[in-house]
Amino acid sequence: MNGRASGLRDRFRRSNRSAYGLVLPYVIFFLAFVAYPLTFSLLLVFHRWNIVTPMEWIGLKNFTRLLEDPLFYASLLNTLVFLLLHIPLQVVVALGFALLLNSRIPGRGFFRAVYFMPVVVSGVVVTILWQQLYSFDNGLLNGMLRAVGIGPVPWLVDPRIAMPAIALMATWKNVGIYIVLFLAGLQTIPRELYDAASVDGATPARQFLHITLPMLNPTMVVIVVLSTIGGFSLFIEPYVLTGGGPMQSTLSGMLYIYNQGFYFNHMGYAATLGFVYAMIILLIVLLQRRLIGREQTA
Amino acid sequence: MKFVSVTVLMLCLIAGCADQGKSPDGGGGAVELTYWPAPNPQEIQLADTLVRRWNALHPECLVRMQPIPVSQSTEEVLLAAIAGGTTPDICSNIQPGALYDFVRARGLLPLDQFPGFDSIALERAGAELLQTFRSPDGHIYQLPWKSNPVMMFYNKRLLREAGIAGPPRTFNEYLAAGRRVTKDTTGDGQTDIWMGERDIRPIWWQRLFDFYPFYIAASSGRTLFANGQLALDERAAAEVLAFFRTCYGEGIYPRTFFQAGDPFLLEMKATHFSGPWEVATIRKFAPTMDYGVAPLPVPDDVTGPVYTYGDFKNIAIFSTSQHPEKAWEFVRYLVRAEHDLLLLQLCDQIPVRTDLVTNPLFAGYFRANPVMAEFGRQLQHIRGIDTAPDLKEIFDTLSQIYEASSVYGSTEPQDAVREIVRRTNIIVEWNR
Amino acid sequence: MKTFFRYIILLVGAVIFAYPFLWMIAGSFKPELEIRGFGLWSEQFSLHSYHTVLTKIPIGRALLNSLIVSGATTASVILFGSMVGYALSRLTFVGGKALYTLILITMMIPFQIVLIPQYILMVKLGWTDSYLGLVAPTMMSAFSIILFRQFFMAIPQGLIDAARLDGASDLTILFRVIWPLSRPVMVTVAILTFMTSWNEVLWPLLVVRERSLMTMPQIVTIFTTGGEAEAQLGSLLAAATLLALPIIVAYAFFQKYFIESMATTGLKG
Repeated sequence: MNGRASGLRDRFRRSNRSAYGLVLPYVIFFLAFVAYPLTFSLLLVFHRWNIVTPMEWIGLKNFTRLLEDPLFYASLLNTLVFLLLHIPLQVVVALGFALLLNSRIPGRGFFRAVYFMPVVVSGVVVTILWQQLYSFDNGLLNGMLRAVGIGPVPWLVDPRIAMPAIALMATWKNVGIYIVLFLAGLQTIPRELYDAASVDGATPARQFLHITLPMLNPTMVVIVVLSTIGGFSLFIEPYVLTGGGPMQSTLSGMLYIYNQGFYFNHMGYAATLGFVYAMIILLIVLLQRRLIGREQTA
Repeated sequence: MKFVSVTVLMLCLIAGCADQGKSPDGGGGAVELTYWPAPNPQEIQLADTLVRRWNALHPECLVRMQPIPVSQSTEEVLLAAIAGGTTPDICSNIQPGALYDFVRARGLLPLDQFPGFDSIALERAGAELLQTFRSPDGHIYQLPWKSNPVMMFYNKRLLREAGIAGPPRTFNEYLAAGRRVTKDTTGDGQTDIWMGERDIRPIWWQRLFDFYPFYIAASSGRTLFANGQLALDERAAAEVLAFFRTCYGEGIYPRTFFQAGDPFLLEMKATHFSGPWEVATIRKFAPTMDYGVAPLPVPDDVTGPVYTYGDFKNIAIFSTSQHPEKAWEFVRYLVRAEHDLLLLQLCDQIPVRTDLVTNPLFAGYFRANPVMAEFGRQLQHIRGIDTAPDLKEIFDTLSQIYEASSVYGSTEPQDAVREIVRRTNIIVEWNR
Repeated sequence: MKTFFRYIILLVGAVIFAYPFLWMIAGSFKPELEIRGFGLWSEQFSLHSYHTVLTKIPIGRALLNSLIVSGATTASVILFGSMVGYALSRLTFVGGKALYTLILITMMIPFQIVLIPQYILMVKLGWTDSYLGLVAPTMMSAFSIILFRQFFMAIPQGLIDAARLDGASDLTILFRVIWPLSRPVMVTVAILTFMTSWNEVLWPLLVVRERSLMTMPQIVTIFTTGGEAEAQLGSLLAAATLLALPIIVAYAFFQKYFIESMATTGLKG
């Protein structure tokens, strides 16, 4: 009887057996809805399948097709455009409002509640709203611009402006969470640090750069990571507003998977796309954590 | 493949013969066939009439008609039925574009195995057109039934007011007319009358009303594929792309889509590319419009009759049928000349017959409906969609390239055509 | 002076974030021609647009569906999440550490890769067009387990020991001792789960085609993209208002909890 086996048996004997009953439902759930789909996905990427007819083995054909697929690259580019606009805008606006709110002024709770409202409301509502804001002929935004003499902007019609327009809308929707996160982060910074810096003669600007920003670094990482994952999951906005156009400039990864899987019934290719996007997301998130800094784990 | 389908057919015939003595509901030896017509009210009425007559004449082989649920597309319903084994015996709403999937799922029976198919099919479609309905395995799984050719509706008054005598016949004539017709009549800075307008969103089936019919016309009857391979007439495709590019580029067509009503019915648009169903719509919503129907414009150097795209609906028999030879008898019954006349009279739809304009049986109808006669004449020169894999995605890709090149003018037509060939071949290759 | 400018900017912000909603609500009552304007007021407020929406789409039914689906999901996540959270935080057993690591990894899996296979699973099980199909893949949540575990770790061992001495089983301990002490985390998980489930559109679009089973965001999406609204802006705005209403009402009452709950997602990173 070797030592390790008896150690395991001992530990098992000392275990709370009832724990197994408690975790069993989750284990079943995990096997059915996480493990099985993941494994099946790894199988599906080597097949062609439209659900109705039997699966056909096609080896690496899905991958070779993906590498030649202009729409795949377009979706990556579109996501990049989205993130490059959305993330900095988000950070700047959220930090700005958080700084403004970070003092005991009356009405603070009211403002926080208002800024947060777009977050809780469904993305569909926000999309319908902004569809009207962005409408070329008689949208609210172009109406405002016309009133000050500027010509109408082809928000969702010009391929160069459509994705930035969606980035703007996404920022409006989500900035509330990040204001709250920054507020929480700001409040963890000890007052003494600022006091000490003032004593040393540091200007508010320097204090901001050397105390506030570094201390907020963990929050920034969280914001960047969450926004990135959100950017890759963009679906309902392009689906409702533009259908992926004009000229495929708002085709997001998720929308492309949806089209390939449910419009064209290419389950194998859609699974391949999903796999590749997932790998890219994981890679980017890992890189971000490494580059931007270490965040505090919960 | 041929061996397999022959075996399948033999087995079906044997099973069918064995079944002769029994009936599904034990009702004393009668055979029952299920038939699915298209879900619109006129065709249901037609189907009802025909089925009644058949049942009266053939009590030993009753046909039961079941309409397809309206909420879903017929293709979806049929594919699901094939998967679930709940297919009917006959369906008369088969779109050639979906045929590839049905055949691949082994859902249909090859019709060219049945006695008399060849003569009937040739009589209806003619050799050239029939060839485009052949599946890659060499068999024909659909019998051409009816078709809606896409032609140019034109508003005579709007053309006249712009000083144009008749409908434009060539690209240059069309563009010249367009430059005069599209204008701002009220002086408010916004164009009120357009020569034409198309939905600029790259939705795949929209190409069936602009690029594809024009391509068929410009290539004098070529489709996209031949013998299972992409066989694009690149010169014609480039000319069509360039034509629409000019329309959008010069502002003859608007680059937005109308949200408030149909511009042709509202007489804000001079030309409209559509099929015979538009006649009933105009009669209902714009009865006073002075309009005509003409073949599509073609490039200046194209001679001969003008071809176009016809939205075909064909008839097929499913492989689950217990009585395929009986089903074939019913199909032959459906396509009789007098029933084609009913199709015209009850549904305003054009049956596919080579003798449509020469057969005296139909003369009365066409005399009474001169616009339909125009469609009838066009029927002699139409093409459908090829039986190739993934047509939806191919047309979707085509739509994207068309959008980039013609609507937004960002790619030259020659480059766009090369792109069409490249990306279509990727899709075809992936499906091999 | 500084305070004055601060308030100006904050007010401008408030207008930017709140005005679109006010415009939407006002527009849903205005006659079609007046909606395009900026103003909120109209002489002719009417319920016409709402009437159109209520007759054209089964939005009441959709509301019920959303309530059922989100309610069931939330209840399930809380029940099973707290069970696993308890086991992981207070009980020792072989495989506990492995399970915890597994759960952490699960949280990192992007949805893109499981979307298609999960849908196929629903088809194979025959769970499309059913409540089960809508609830099943989200009925347990790795993130909630982490939250529960963290919270439960802070519960005094003494209370648990006392219950054990009284002969209580683990489930009893969970429900009788731990749950009553866990209001903060329960509220957080409940709000997060309910809200996420309520606003989810992609999954229902895949799994449900039957109109009588569609969730509220789903049916409004289909109304918007499907052309049934016939470009009647008033109807679109009315549908959007109806969709926003339940969450905004809940938000009005529980706004503090909403904000605090969402802040904890920051810990997720």
